[in-house]
Amino acid sequence: MSAAGLASPSASRLGPFLAGLLRDPIVWLIVAIFAVGSLTSEYYLTAANIENLMRNIAVIGLLSLGMTVVLLTGRIDLSVAALMIFSVIVGVVLMAWLGSVIGVRWLVRGNTFAGPTLAVMGIALATGAFVGAINGIGVAYLKVASFIMTLVSLTALRGFNYVLTNGHPYYLKSPLFNWVGDAKLGPVPVSFAIFLAVLVALIAFVNGTVRGGRFYAIGGNEKAALYAGIKTARYVVLAFVISGICAAIAGIVFTARLKSVDAPLAAGYELTAIAIAVIGGTALSGGVGSPWRTLLGSVAFAAGLNLLAIWGVGTWYQNLAIGIVLILSVGLSKLSRKKVQS
Amino acid sequence: MTTMEDKVADRGAPSRTFDMVRQAGSGDLSRLAVLVVLVVLGQIITPAFLSLGNVHVILMAVAAIGIMAYGMTLVVITGEIDLSVAGIAILSCVVGGLLIPTGSAVLVIGATLATGLLVGLLNGVLVAAIGIPSLIATLGMLGISRALANIASGGQALYPEPIAAYLWLGRGAVAGVPVPVLLLAILGVAAILLTRYSTFGRALYATGGNVRAAALSGINTVAVRTVVFMISGVCAALAGILECARLSYINPAGLEGMELSVLAVTVLGGAALAGGSGSITGTLVAAVIIGIVNNLLNQMGVSIYLQQVVTAAVILAVVLPGMWRRGIVK
Repeated sequence: MSAAGLASPSASRLGPFLAGLLRDPIVWLIVAIFAVGSLTSEYYLTAANIENLMRNIAVIGLLSLGMTVVLLTGRIDLSVAALMIFSVIVGVVLMAWLGSVIGVRWLVRGNTFAGPTLAVMGIALATGAFVGAINGIGVAYLKVASFIMTLVSLTALRGFNYVLTNGHPYYLKSPLFNWVGDAKLGPVPVSFAIFLAVLVALIAFVNGTVRGGRFYAIGGNEKAALYAGIKTARYVVLAFVISGICAAIAGIVFTARLKSVDAPLAAGYELTAIAIAVIGGTALSGGVGSPWRTLLGSVAFAAGLNLLAIWGVGTWYQNLAIGIVLILSVGLSKLSRKKVQS
Repeated sequence: MTTMEDKVADRGAPSRTFDMVRQAGSGDLSRLAVLVVLVVLGQIITPAFLSLGNVHVILMAVAAIGIMAYGMTLVVITGEIDLSVAGIAILSCVVGGLLIPTGSAVLVIGATLATGLLVGLLNGVLVAAIGIPSLIATLGMLGISRALANIASGGQALYPEPIAAYLWLGRGAVAGVPVPVLLLAILGVAAILLTRYSTFGRALYATGGNVRAAALSGINTVAVRTVVFMISGVCAALAGILECARLSYINPAGLEGMELSVLAVTVLGGAALAGGSGSITGTLVAAVIIGIVNNLLNQMGVSIYLQQVVTAAVILAVVLPGMWRRGIVK
């Protein structure tokens, strides 16, 4: 992977950036998927399918963006999928309880929530940040390995999800949920616009500021970063908070599309998020990768799955393909690097 | 692998050996303390807690997870991870299950174990020979094996009822001891002997501690890691048989998320994911702790979902002590 390929776009570096882009295998993979798609199916490049594709990218892309920041520091966050559902459930349950305290019924017939949506979303975001902070503090200050810490929160949150919902789905009914889930800004679905906004914000922060660059420093050589005076623990916590917030936003977008939230939803999405970040070129050992490249990873992932679905390939064959592509993409890059070294 | 070198460099303080001994000590103590407290608590809550029947119930419930965790522990000692165990278990059982019409117990059980061995070998080659990070390789293999299990079985459950020996593995008993519990004990002893008293065992810890140093000192680290993944594959396949025989049906969508429970038991047992430490005894104690916690919560009528929360808390309670003394932890 060339340094140019890892950098984010900016005006002064546009030339080398474009040159790096052309040498990047994942770009050609995306081009190939779209070329094959448009040749084999008349529906692939239709507006309806592209719109569908954008909605799919939004949810998994948001999860993978948060995951990327954590991976950059050399840590991992397994709790994202459980957290994305948990944060929305907390929002609904807390508001329903508040409603009952002030004497308003916001949880109406058939477990439908019809209260103030903005508050639910606010609570969801706060919950995401809070759980992320707990993960981060556990990893950075209590020194529990991130894999274990977030595995513990994954287990606990999945349990809480069932306890808080009593195993029944909550249905979400409000104009705002409908807007987030279904509306479009011109040709772009709102959910995808939200994803793009988060992407731009993260690129600006991670690749455009000194503070953001410290994630790379910590992932590259944590001891050196520490001795250079960086308060590494704070940045590790920050990475997990970012991941938590991204998970909460993904949860809001996901549940707004379904108009409901249910405990078993999104099971296994944490593994998809890791896979996308890795396909995008983020290294599990830290210090390598970027939000921008995760965008490419999520586009390749979603476009490939979408193509298989259009071809009528069954879900299990799709899962088979994901596994093989994941192993191949990392394996081939390993083999090519070995060749270069020898 | 640069990852491994970085980790080793990070922990490269001169007192590392002492640190490890001290941590292992405090970890083992806190695990045993938790176990004793749980047993006493259990006896207070329900007088029948230590009855033979209830002990069998507790051990039966964790036999499959425990056997998978033995394999996982060996993998984690070498500094790798195996996320594919649940997938391997299901795929192996489906492959074996497709041979049920032959009526041959040897064929069915043999094919099941051989599939586990083969997928484990594939994991080992991907990780040790090609150099794909084990998290990625086995994550991919988890998806692949689950998908193949569903494709091969057409999504239909298979029923091993015609094979008596198969069912016996999950439900039989020898001298009053259930077969799964017996297998948990026998394999536990075998794994303890393997890790403590064999050259291979020393090679495991050496490889996990510092893969380059181990290779330079003449250990075939590629072979060691490959064999470890093969053992994990066979353990997974066997655990799969125990579960499928107990339920007397092979569900191609079953054992969902079991890899994380197995990993939780392994970590609770004191194996550090950075490699080079961990013990089978610790893993066995951890499996029993999880079993007792779930058993007690069941007897107290706590919902299965709150049990997950309690399990998570127990893991943290055991893992936390001594942690803050560490240097950089990832």
